[in-house]
Amino acid sequence: MVDQLPNRGREAEMLQSMGLQTMEDLFIDIPADVRFKEELPLRGPQSEEEIIADARRLLGSNVDMGARPSFIGAGLYRNYVPAAVFQLVTRGEFLTAYTPYQPEVSQGMLQAMWEFQTLISELVGLPVANLSLYDGSTAAAEALTCAVRVHNRKASQSNTVYVSELIPPDKMSVMENYCQGAEIIIKTLKHNADGTLDLGGLKEAAGSCGIYLEQPNPLGILDEGLITVKDIIGANTALIVGVQPVSLGIVEAPGHYGADIVVGEGQPLGSPVTGGGPLYGIFACTKPYLRLMPGRIVGRSIDVDGKEAYCLTLSTREQHIRRHRATSNICTNETLIALMGAMHMALLGPDGLRDLAQRNLAACQRTKEILSTTKGIEIVHTAHHFNEFAIRVPGSAKDCLNYLDDNGIIGGFDLSTWYPELKDQILVTATDQTTLRDIEVLSAQLAMWSMHQGVSA
Amino acid sequence: MSHLFNHNGANDTGYSQPPGLTCVNEATVPSGLVRQHSARWPRLSEPEMVRHYTWLSKRNFGIDTGFYPLGSCTMKHNPRVNEVIAQLPGIADIHPHQPEHHLQGLLSIFYEMQHMLEICAGMDQVTLQPVAGAQGEFTAIRCIQEYFRQRGEDQRTKVIVPDSAHGTNPASAAMCGFEIVEIPSLADGRMDLAALAAVADETTAAMMITNPNTLGLFEADIKEASQIVHDAGGQMYYDGANFNAILGITSPGLMGFDAVHFNLHKTFSQPHGGGGPGSGPIGVKAQLAPFLPGPLAARRSPTAQESVTAVDDYWYHWHQPEHSIGKVQQWHGNAGAVIRCWAYYRRYGSGLKTMSEHAVLNANYLRHAIHREAKKEGVSHLFVDGAETDVAKHEFTLSMQPAKDALGISAMDVAKGLLDKGYMAPTVYFPLVVPECMMIEPTETESKDTLDTFAEQFVEVLQTDAETLHAAPVTTPVRRVDEVYAARNLCLRHPFEDSE
Repeated sequence: MVDQLPNRGREAEMLQSMGLQTMEDLFIDIPADVRFKEELPLRGPQSEEEIIADARRLLGSNVDMGARPSFIGAGLYRNYVPAAVFQLVTRGEFLTAYTPYQPEVSQGMLQAMWEFQTLISELVGLPVANLSLYDGSTAAAEALTCAVRVHNRKASQSNTVYVSELIPPDKMSVMENYCQGAEIIIKTLKHNADGTLDLGGLKEAAGSCGIYLEQPNPLGILDEGLITVKDIIGANTALIVGVQPVSLGIVEAPGHYGADIVVGEGQPLGSPVTGGGPLYGIFACTKPYLRLMPGRIVGRSIDVDGKEAYCLTLSTREQHIRRHRATSNICTNETLIALMGAMHMALLGPDGLRDLAQRNLAACQRTKEILSTTKGIEIVHTAHHFNEFAIRVPGSAKDCLNYLDDNGIIGGFDLSTWYPELKDQILVTATDQTTLRDIEVLSAQLAMWSMHQGVSA
Repeated sequence: MSHLFNHNGANDTGYSQPPGLTCVNEATVPSGLVRQHSARWPRLSEPEMVRHYTWLSKRNFGIDTGFYPLGSCTMKHNPRVNEVIAQLPGIADIHPHQPEHHLQGLLSIFYEMQHMLEICAGMDQVTLQPVAGAQGEFTAIRCIQEYFRQRGEDQRTKVIVPDSAHGTNPASAAMCGFEIVEIPSLADGRMDLAALAAVADETTAAMMITNPNTLGLFEADIKEASQIVHDAGGQMYYDGANFNAILGITSPGLMGFDAVHFNLHKTFSQPHGGGGPGSGPIGVKAQLAPFLPGPLAARRSPTAQESVTAVDDYWYHWHQPEHSIGKVQQWHGNAGAVIRCWAYYRRYGSGLKTMSEHAVLNANYLRHAIHREAKKEGVSHLFVDGAETDVAKHEFTLSMQPAKDALGISAMDVAKGLLDKGYMAPTVYFPLVVPECMMIEPTETESKDTLDTFAEQFVEVLQTDAETLHAAPVTTPVRRVDEVYAARNLCLRHPFEDSE
């Protein structure tokens, strides 16, 4: 414990200089009736080496995805983050800094975040990006409230937004929590049996404040129909598109087909899955949304000598200035994870991103090809998929995944978790980390399980 | 200057990838969705990229660089073992949707952290899901909202906050749909019980307050405040931003609060990372527990089969609260931050109280040292305490108004002068109730020598002529940055157009 407290052993000297005798004298202002009477009933302190031994034992008992063939994704994707990213991001000047309120001594992080804004802006095809929200779900939720702030006055369906019916319930729940305070009504958009958006039903969303769709959608489908959506809903309804950022190495940027706001889970660029956090939420938009958008933004400026310098800007949107009229309550965001993203993007460059996207696409396609010839397994949607696709198994998806787990495979995600009526479907995810051997093992075990279910070999 | 977007030299990429899998049919995207123009990203080799970010890091100030007395932010040392642990595959490479028997270690750490925070806060149930302090506030106020809806008390549409509150308090409550009632503080910066009593009524859903308050003073009347709000039928919310002052000494539960958030990145040393990530767990009393976001980590005795993979005497599992408000983050919160803070907690265990004692010792020592040094050098007339008090808690405020009146030296000038001395500046102009405010929080991880030297340097800044201070800083990578220029000439991304 002493190793964290430099003044252990100097307490008496310090107290004396203030005319005090005991530590207790520092707490005379706390009334006795609100004081703990006893020590905290917690375990004793440990040394660093004991802590790391316990961490290895406990975390070592988790089954990490790298330890076995893993096909689970559903919004978070196993990837390879180059070593330089981890080495650089733990530099104390980045790691142990606070939000850059004093720009003169925070130029490094400010410039890095301004560069991040540019990288994201280019990636999604929109002129403005902030320096991160908490994750993909909160970014989507804040995009909806932002769209209402911008469009509500002219909207024929005031306080109303539309969201794809495929959005996972957990993400939907975040949206509902963020929207209910402003009394925003969330309606859903239907999808066709082939998994694509029902463009015919989209007309009813025209005149609302905004619609939220994903590309690829939650079933991994790249939906070409999205390029016509903006024309259908019109200029006064925000088109918000959620993306898997790696896909944009080969898939058209939503900003180029009419998106007003692009959000997404930044994790696949720069960060390991980390049990679901910390991640970083991407938020980018067109200029009409700028002054009503959430989150921190860095601007390029000059110092008193006219030298190039960076600082936080447009702060009058934020809680520390605007208080209850702020566009969002966000204060702490995910800067360091966004920095990891920027570093990864800088290393990849445009060609590296295209290659990475192609590897993810090919891994998905190869998995699909092999499973399409696996006995008993049916690919649910005929479509172009990115990262993941749904399969139908001959029996309960839950039983199937348990069987795969018993045989050392993390087989995918049970789609009945999201869509209770789909009892026999699994979302199978492949990424740049998926090997041919992984896919063959999965295929063999799926065939074996199907055989147990009575499907003939 | 090193500019990322000036790098366009490398032919290929800074990271060479292995070939992808070969498919029978070429893997393609729908023809209408093929990306037409690549992102105009830079092209750097790895050595160039490493040098760029190293260069940037040298233009940034962190706790590792020097003393960082930023009030209300608790900039304590971040132990490095925590970073090593957070990169173990058992946390870095796990997926939140894996089955419980794959995550027994994670669940046991979550359980231990929930339990520890419940004890420290005097609350009945903690959730680790909120990912930042502001999100913790939002989550707890949502729970309070649903609690009242279920009781049929829909008329409780107001949340009371003192005028000295952090901006996130009113912003979070407003996001939930509440009307904000701001009450003025007394002249000495403390809470005004009469003002509270005047507004607390059947429309009050909650009061949000931090204690010690944003002036670093402990509100001795806090139980009376809780009584007033409870008598009116409202709930008491504790903003845990200032938890570093009270661990093991008092708790929100003992003060009569119903809900509380923690800033793990303040109190439990998750690195601030230049603005995040954080972690903002909340704890609540039993009446609010059914409304918490789920799932929570829970445990029971293992079955015979489960005991094979159990990490200790228990089987850990997720538990969904009965009337849960749902989710505020799609997964289980910032698990990686929770792991780091678990490692930090283990360092102290039951000795967390010592940590708070030293935080308060250092704050009071620094306050005395500054006053003593100023007296010695004859500049004690240039500032006053932001609030009269015998003892501060983990932070204290000074008002530079006298310096401004006498010499034209503002709090911002002093802040910039301190940057030239090699320090991070204290928080300035907050709380708003103190004119020309400087808010100073040294934390427990600074040595007496550092505090003595800072006091001397602080006074030296006050002895500097106004003209020099107006021109400060001069030793930093850039000099005073023109924030008005930034807002009037918005340049939010690299202007490719100009260079083409």
